[in-house]
Parts: sequence; structure tokens; C-alpha cells
Amino acid sequence: MADSGVVVPAPPAAARPRERSRGRLPRGALLMAARKLGGALLVVWGVVTFTFVVARVVAPDPIGLLVPPGATQEAQDAVRADLGLDSSVAEQYVIYLRDLITGDLGTSFGTGRAVTDDLMSRLPATLELAVPALIVGIVLGTALGVISAVRRGRLLDHAIRIVTVIALAMPQFWLGLVLLSLFYVQLGWLPGPLGRLPVGAQIPPEVTGSYVIDAVIAGQWETARQAIDQLILPCAVLACGIFAPITRVARSGMVEALRSEYVRTAHAYGFGRSTVYRGHALRNALLPVITMIAGGVAFAFTGAVLVEGVFGWPGIGQYALTAVEQSDFPALQGFVLYAAIIYVVLYALVDLAHSLADPRTRS
Amino acid sequence: MTAPTPIPAADPVAPPGPAADIPAAPARKRRLAGQPITLLLGCALMVLLVVTAAVGQIWTPFDPEAPGVGLPFLEPGGDHWFGTDQAGSDVFSKTLAATWTDLWLTVVAVAIAFVVGSVLGAVAGYWGGWADAVIMRGTEILQSFPALLLALLLVTTLGSGLINVIVVVAFVGLPGYLRLLRAEVRARKSWEFTDAAILAGNSGPRVLARHLVPNGIMPLISYAAVNAAWVAIVVSSLGFVGVGIEPGSPEWGSMIAGGRTSPDSYWISLFPGLGILLLATAFYLIGDGLTDREDHR
Repeated sequence: MADSGVVVPAPPAAARPRERSRGRLPRGALLMAARKLGGALLVVWGVVTFTFVVARVVAPDPIGLLVPPGATQEAQDAVRADLGLDSSVAEQYVIYLRDLITGDLGTSFGTGRAVTDDLMSRLPATLELAVPALIVGIVLGTALGVISAVRRGRLLDHAIRIVTVIALAMPQFWLGLVLLSLFYVQLGWLPGPLGRLPVGAQIPPEVTGSYVIDAVIAGQWETARQAIDQLILPCAVLACGIFAPITRVARSGMVEALRSEYVRTAHAYGFGRSTVYRGHALRNALLPVITMIAGGVAFAFTGAVLVEGVFGWPGIGQYALTAVEQSDFPALQGFVLYAAIIYVVLYALVDLAHSLADPRTRS
Repeated sequence: MTAPTPIPAADPVAPPGPAADIPAAPARKRRLAGQPITLLLGCALMVLLVVTAAVGQIWTPFDPEAPGVGLPFLEPGGDHWFGTDQAGSDVFSKTLAATWTDLWLTVVAVAIAFVVGSVLGAVAGYWGGWADAVIMRGTEILQSFPALLLALLLVTTLGSGLINVIVVVAFVGLPGYLRLLRAEVRARKSWEFTDAAILAGNSGPRVLARHLVPNGIMPLISYAAVNAAWVAIVVSSLGFVGVGIEPGSPEWGSMIAGGRTSPDSYWISLFPGLGILLLATAFYLIGDGLTDREDHR
């Protein structure tokens, strides 16, 4: 992100044009931050524009999906005008951007509600699923990676690596179906894919948006238990997709760190094993792990489309899936914008974390 | 690191004559034994899958696309080793026939992403400037989409079908190759062998094609194997959602979706999913093995 934007004056002909513009960056941290923000806004704008072009120019006319079959031309035109689809594409684009700046993402063709409201009402469900899955995935992933590296070449290491590869190679929607078939259909231990609560269960009064926490606050223990039961399988599937990549990078980072001279020196100074592992090796192995964790967060918040789909989880991923299936462009564009913002914010946080963890990246 | 300039000449150390022939056989054996176990396992699994795919093209116990070769929802066993699905098709025949589809869809999509991504990455890395800026911004934008959703969006927009699925999956997978080769080319651009090649009078594109790209291609190959595992999963995900290749033709993802409506008959979804699992595992193991081998050098 840092190596473009600023036009570097051409070097003299004698010098080969291989100097990187990175070295000429303005030093001030404020300028740097402004540049980053500008770059981020450019990316968000690019994402929004790309989606707009795909949805409004390349895609077939959505009117056929919105009016009853055999509707008259007048009726079709009325719907078109109602949705603002009767003006030219350029005009629509300008209107769309103008609305976007004021926070108006338009009205969903499918639900007939404001896309912003739709997204906000579905965010708690996604969060309730994503947060526990992320906690499990990150803790498990880092721990297994470190153990695997410390026990490199032993049986435990091989076992962890095999489990990791299988977890990565498993399509999540299939894992969800297999677990449902086992724990719901065959054993009957866990409830079916009906979303956040079984049919007829009492929805707790909203405080945090998480059914489990809200039910506990309201003292509805039965509801809390039911909500946890509904969570277990989708959460496990999601965590399975999160821990595996983290384990891989944590292992390779730790293996490299443990081979290094500073770790040998630390051992030679007589520091205890856990001090060396945690204080010296892990700290250095952490950078790629942070990047991978950011990937996990992005995945859990946006990419868990099929997990939510399989479990009937009424979150943002399912909303996006339905929007794709119904050619619901405002909903889709809203989701894409939401995802792009999450990605951009996460990248910025990763940059920040890198510069905190590794002073060499601060230059 | 590999030698900067590949010289197509005989091994200079080996003296001519009969003495040179003797170590050939054991050397080859050792070469196989010295490979990382992950690479060997992955290759073995891949050979097995390719053979399975080939067999599925020539012979299946029943016509994979014909409904009603047995009663619907038959349990595995008897004539139908993997049972039958809701239409009474033979799940074993379908799974076998689908191996070919998923395997070659994945390979073709990865090949396209590899070639196009490498060309763009090499251009961006070597010439820099505005071409680099444009290409990298485009990559950033592409990577700010959730990959699976982008694929879904594009296939839905362009319409399902074989070609569209391949093109879209290749497009979504492009940024990885692009970034990797760009980084490799940028790093090697300032090395002495590049200067030497330029001073010898080679043109820019020639230096890039003959020296920089061949020297930086190895990480891309390991990446391609890992990426292929991901592509296999995305291809089947598209089939699962119902926007994959034309409906009716055997494909693992759409077979899994077929079993969703009848949760009592686990076998309809289980076996095609195992196929994806095996294919993706094979690719991951090969990718890991290649990385391990690079690390050992």
C-alpha cells in the first residue's frame, strides 16, 4: 500500500530505475496516516464501484424477478421508476455514491427494508457465532502450532499436522452436514439447523444482542441452554476453518524462531524453557500469526456464508447468500461495502500490530 | 537458491566414459527417498485420484446420470456400494464420474490463474511505475472481497456453466500469484545476474522471461498446489449453492446439495464430500512437501 501514489521524479539516465519509492516517503507519521487513509478510501471506492458495475451493467435486468409474470409494460416501468432504475447508469451511479456518503445503502429488493437496517438486525447473530468461534480458533490454533513446533518431528507433531491439513481440506458446508447428520439425525444429542433458537422458544429481551448473554441477564436459564445448544455445531465448524491456518503459520514461525541464534543464546544464558519459548521465540513468531488471525476475523465476519446457510443461521452471511440468489443488488452492495470496510480496517490493524511487534517495520 | 542462469550443458564434473554411468541408478533411488514424506504422500494420493478419475471416464457400474437405476434412498451395500440418491441414481457411479469433473476444473482454473497472475506480477515487479500502481490497486480491491462471495456474485451475474466457473475461479485466485511473482521479481531485479544479463545486451522482456521469472517461479509452484486445494473447495461450493456447471452433470458439490434435503440418508452427501476432502488433502500435501523441500535447500 505504501509503494504507490507518490510520483517519484525520474532518476538520471545513468541510474537504473530500480530505486523504490518507499525510501522517499514523507517522514511525518501524520502524513503517513493520511496516505494510508487515502489508500483505504480508494480501495473501498474501488470495491463499491466494481460491485456497482457488475450488478447494474453486467448483470441481467432484475425487473423480471421483481414483477409478477405477465405484468404489463406500464407496471414494469412503475416498478423500475420506484427503484430508481429508470435513469441512466451514470446517473444511478452518482445517486448511489451520494446516498452512500450519507449512510443510505438503499432499499433491499427482497425484504423491502433499508439495507442498513437489515444488516444491523443481522449483525448480532453473526457476532454471536463469530466471537466464540474466533476465541476457540485462535487459542487452539496458536497452542497447537507452538506445541507442534516444540515437538517437531515427534509423533504429536505429525498428528497435529495431519489434523490441520484435514481441517483445511474439508469443505465447511460438508463438515456442517456431516456433523448434523451425526449429532442431530443419528444420535439426537444436538438440535437441528433451525437458527439461533428452536421454534417456539422465548426470545430474551434484547440487551447485548447475544441470545445467550441476554437470556442469562434475564435469568431465562432454559433459553440460554437452548441457545448454546444451537451454537455448538456451527461454532465448531467455523472454528475448524479458523484454527487450521493459524496452526500452520504458528508452527512454521516457531520452528524458524527455535532454530535461530537468539534462542540458542537465550538457552545458553540459562533461561528456563517456558521463558525462552514464550518471551523470545513466540514473540518473534507472532507476526505471521497476527496476519492469519486477521484473516480468520475477516472470514468469520464475512466469509462464513455457507456455514450460516447450512445451519439456517440468520446472520449477515446468509443475508448475502440470499441476496446473490435473488439478484437483490442493493442488499448485495451493502454487504460488499460492509465486508470491504472490515477488510480495510483489519489490514490497518495488522499494519499497526506489525509495527508494535517488530520495530524493524517502523521505518 | 537455484543457479542464476540455467546453462543447458552436461554435468561438468562427470568425466566421460563408463565410470559416469555407475552412480545413476542409486542416485535416482536416493532422490526419491530424500523427498519430504508429505510430498510423497500427496503425490501418491494424487496418482490414485487421477487413476480414479480416468477409470470413472471409462467405466462406472451404472450410468452416473441416469435416474432410477435402483430404488431411491437405498442404503450402501449390495449392488449399490455407496447407496442411491433421491432420484434412484447410483451414488458410487456418480462420485466416480465426478472425480474427473472436479479434478480438471480445478487444474484448469489454477493453470489460468498461474499464467495470467505471473504475467501481471512480472510486469508489475519489473517495470514498476504506473503499471505497477494500477495492477496493485486492482489486486487490493479484488482482495477486499470475501473470495467465495465474489466468485458467487460473478458466476450468478455471468450465468452458470463450465467456462464461466473456470474463468471466475481463476480470476478470484489471481492476486496470490501476482503478488508472489511481483515480490520475487522486485527482489531479484537488483541482483548481479540481472545486471550481467542486461549488460550482455538482453532486452528487458528477455531478461524477465529467461532469468527473473524462472528464478522466482518455485514459490509460485508450491503456492499453486495449496491454492488448488482452495480452488477445489470453491468449485464444489459453487456447485453446492447451485450455480456451478450445468445441473445434472455429476459434480461433488451439487451431489452434496442433493443430500441436504434428506438428512436421514447421510450417504448421499458423505461420499462426494470425501472426494473433495481427498483431492484438497492431496494438493495441500504436495504444496507442503514442495515448501519443505525448498526450506531444506
